[in-house]
Amino acid sequence: MKKIISILVITGLLFGLTGTITAQEKTIDIFISMPEYATAINQLIDAYQKIEPDVKINYQTIQSDYPTLLKVKLNSGDVPDIFASAPGKEIDLYKEYSYDLSGQPLVDAMQPAIKKVMADSSGEGVYGLAIKGNYFGLIYNKDLFAQAGIEQAPATMSELETAITKLEEAGITPFTSGFGEWWVYKHVFQHFLAATTNNPAALIKKFENGEANLKDYPILYNNFFHFVDLVSEHGDAKPLEATLNTEIANFSTGKAAMMVGQGPWVEDSLDQIDPNLKIGFVGYPVSDNPAQAQVISGADQALRISRNSDNLETVLDFVNWWYTSDYGQNWFVNVAGVVPPVKMDYQSDYDIIKGAKQSVAAKGAGQLTIIYSTDSFHMAFAEAMQAYVGNTIDKDQACKLIENNWVKVDGSN
Amino acid sequence: MGNKSKKELILFTLPALIMVSITIYLPFVISSYYSLTEWNGISKSAKFIGLQNFKTLFFNNSQFLNVLIFTGKYTFLFMLLSNVMALILATFLVQKIKTANILRGVFFVPYIMSMIIVGFIWKFIFSQGFARLFEITGWGFLNLSWLGNAHLAFYAVVFVGVWQQLGFYIVLYIAGLQAIPEDVMEAATVDGAGALSRFFRVKLPLLGPSITICLFMSLTNGLKVFDIILALTQGGPGGATYSATLDIYREAFQYNNYGLGSAKALVFFLIVLIMTQIVLTISRRNEVEV
Amino acid sequence: MKISQKNKLKNLILEFIIILIAIVFIYPVFLMVINSFKSFREVIIDVIALPEKLNFSNYLYVIDKMNYPQLFLNNLLITAIGIAGIVALSSLAAYIIDRQRNKYTRLAQLFIITPMLIPFQTFMITLLKVMNIIHLSGSRVGLGIQYWGFGIPMATFIYINFMKTIPREIDESAYIDGASTFKTFIYVIFPILKPVTVTVIVLDVMWIWNDFLLPLLMVNSSEKTKTLVLAAYNFVGQYNTQWHYAMTAMVLTVVPSILFFIFLQKYIVKGVVAGSVKG
Repeated sequence: MKKIISILVITGLLFGLTGTITAQEKTIDIFISMPEYATAINQLIDAYQKIEPDVKINYQTIQSDYPTLLKVKLNSGDVPDIFASAPGKEIDLYKEYSYDLSGQPLVDAMQPAIKKVMADSSGEGVYGLAIKGNYFGLIYNKDLFAQAGIEQAPATMSELETAITKLEEAGITPFTSGFGEWWVYKHVFQHFLAATTNNPAALIKKFENGEANLKDYPILYNNFFHFVDLVSEHGDAKPLEATLNTEIANFSTGKAAMMVGQGPWVEDSLDQIDPNLKIGFVGYPVSDNPAQAQVISGADQALRISRNSDNLETVLDFVNWWYTSDYGQNWFVNVAGVVPPVKMDYQSDYDIIKGAKQSVAAKGAGQLTIIYSTDSFHMAFAEAMQAYVGNTIDKDQACKLIENNWVKVDGSN
Repeated sequence: MGNKSKKELILFTLPALIMVSITIYLPFVISSYYSLTEWNGISKSAKFIGLQNFKTLFFNNSQFLNVLIFTGKYTFLFMLLSNVMALILATFLVQKIKTANILRGVFFVPYIMSMIIVGFIWKFIFSQGFARLFEITGWGFLNLSWLGNAHLAFYAVVFVGVWQQLGFYIVLYIAGLQAIPEDVMEAATVDGAGALSRFFRVKLPLLGPSITICLFMSLTNGLKVFDIILALTQGGPGGATYSATLDIYREAFQYNNYGLGSAKALVFFLIVLIMTQIVLTISRRNEVEV
Repeated sequence: MKISQKNKLKNLILEFIIILIAIVFIYPVFLMVINSFKSFREVIIDVIALPEKLNFSNYLYVIDKMNYPQLFLNNLLITAIGIAGIVALSSLAAYIIDRQRNKYTRLAQLFIITPMLIPFQTFMITLLKVMNIIHLSGSRVGLGIQYWGFGIPMATFIYINFMKTIPREIDESAYIDGASTFKTFIYVIFPILKPVTVTVIVLDVMWIWNDFLLPLLMVNSSEKTKTLVLAAYNFVGQYNTQWHYAMTAMVLTVVPSILFFIFLQKYIVKGVVAGSVKG
């Protein structure tokens, strides 16, 4: 028996040995989140392999548990050649694994605003590239607004309240909230933060050091909470159970006129349900100044190149080709259907992107502020906000909780 | 017992001991080392800080006590409901009914469903599904926000947890019921015992091994509850449904305090170890040897 | 006659009640299946409604996208290796532990069963490290072997508890006939354990076939080693989940294991009958 078992174990180990895939000469291992772009990225890879048939690209993508798995891989020495994180605050977190792309041709092609958020906390280097640019704002149904007699999308808090009244008089639910999703809160909050300061990184630093209080910033303390109140009072029957799916269903079927916390990524889904939807896209009303109702633009994800990659040159060739070749650049607009992160003129077929471009042309774009805090903080932030929406805690308790978490989660590291 | 059988003893248990050691103990012990360090789970070096994490945990962290209480409440209700229901259903499912095989399959399916899908479907049932049923029936409980209210969310999570795992215990109880020799039951019937007294006087004591297994399994599964909460509420609304494992996960992987997370894991492991030993001892004492 | 008719009626009512409970119980699963036939639009607007028409286009698309045949084989290989090792090693260990009660076996029992109490998430990081060093990561066979370690605690626990119900006279008479401990185990004890073994196989096949986190850590990097569940999760994104495909993929993943379960269930009943005749 002993023999049988030891043979079993040994053969098992041998199989394990031989079964392990040894790295080929020119292999690129990609391990990133965002499976929604899997089809598009596979097309990109196919196109590249036509040009470089010797390069083998292993592309894996997973959404749930991605940051955890990435940590597991990094620690076990299994560092992927290309991995994903958020830009901004998370640049430093993975910096010791990450290659500085400064001087690479792709950096010249990259949009300046995106390049800026790929720098480390001292403002140096380019530690990532984006799959897409992005817009954040308030999505509304143009037909329903017209039906309620609203001529222009609300740009101030009082206009918003008027719009709500008109919509309800016309028998239309004003909002669908998505307050069950943690990331909806950060997408909304950043607009209020951007209106509060011109230097969000510095303000957030103050919060992280425990040197600032929400109470001192009326746009945050009054307007943001007021907005959340309006949405939960004039939105879904059970706001804390409203998920992205609820929002898509309610908005696309005309049950709700405004969709909170979303952006261009939902348009494909909306189209699949009602291709004739007339979608408008504007910045959130954050104050009494209509100029502050800005759409926010920027990149909220970063692809990082492993600095210790065995095939660094091969990997760099690939990403440079992606950002600078004709196919690569057109891929953003025509295949992936996203806001290109590279400098180029383009026409988008998407209503949300068109609306965003118009708004930016008229009012300029707000600063992307979510990237200066980690998602870990944003989850804690959402927890506090959910407790507030669910009436388990009051506004001051929620503020206290948020301030504490800023220090605890994001502070000093 | 001779020398030979001692050798056999070691030999036959050794493969199991080795496999368990390399897949579970070794990684767990290495990972426990980090409880003595300050480490974010990412950087290449961890800083040794001695027992600092345990100090923080015991004197500076009321949150952990809260999640332990939640976990305790969850485990109690989960054990109670899943064992009672599984035993009742298993008793019926071993009767000679035509559909028994398919029915057993039916009860088992939730156990293997993907958590993401379970989360999606149950969220939908709780919100839209209940709303629709409320319109038809007018029953008040259907109109409550089962996942949006901090108190109700607890019961919703327990309910779905039991729903998901019940089949597992049914299978174990069925195996136990089928192991009871026919002649014992026949003898009891001849003695004139009714169905109910047959169940309590004869079946239940003979089910000892199954009950021990199921109590132990439901206890550990209850204490370790993770997936179902992640899928349904992600600890929400407003942090009302954090279990111990979810809290450890959050500390280690979201807050990037791998050291403190490991300390919590170690303390939690000890608590679980003690609890299970108590339950095992009690349950074994009441077993009847055949 | 009267009594048996009354019994029949009682049984019929009972069966009816259980079927009712089962219907409520299976309803969410039923929802998963019907949604796998719907378009994205139908899923999002109303999960509960029946599909407008029975449409297999989701299935064709998903089977192609998942690379179903290859992944099915991967699942089969991993599960088979896992189960074979778990059953062999646990039943043997349990036999010794139950039959020879002494200090060593009590310790061995505690040592083997305790890992059931350790949450997997707490040692994930170091697990992959260790598995990389001993080359059990990145391959199907390696993953199968890892399941031995993860499956042995529960299986041994179940075996030990049922082993108690087998009278010791049975192995003693085999010893007297001159059989060794190992032979006694293989030819006398293991056959009697058949119902328990089937239970262990059922529970572990279901677990390994549908497991997510461990395969994700170990074999996600290549199409050649990936499992069905991993491929199914490719349809799930944070800001955009293709629910109709995700449900289809899950149905395709889960169905083989359920068929296996129903098949084995019949076998359990037979196994018990056979065992009792012999005993």
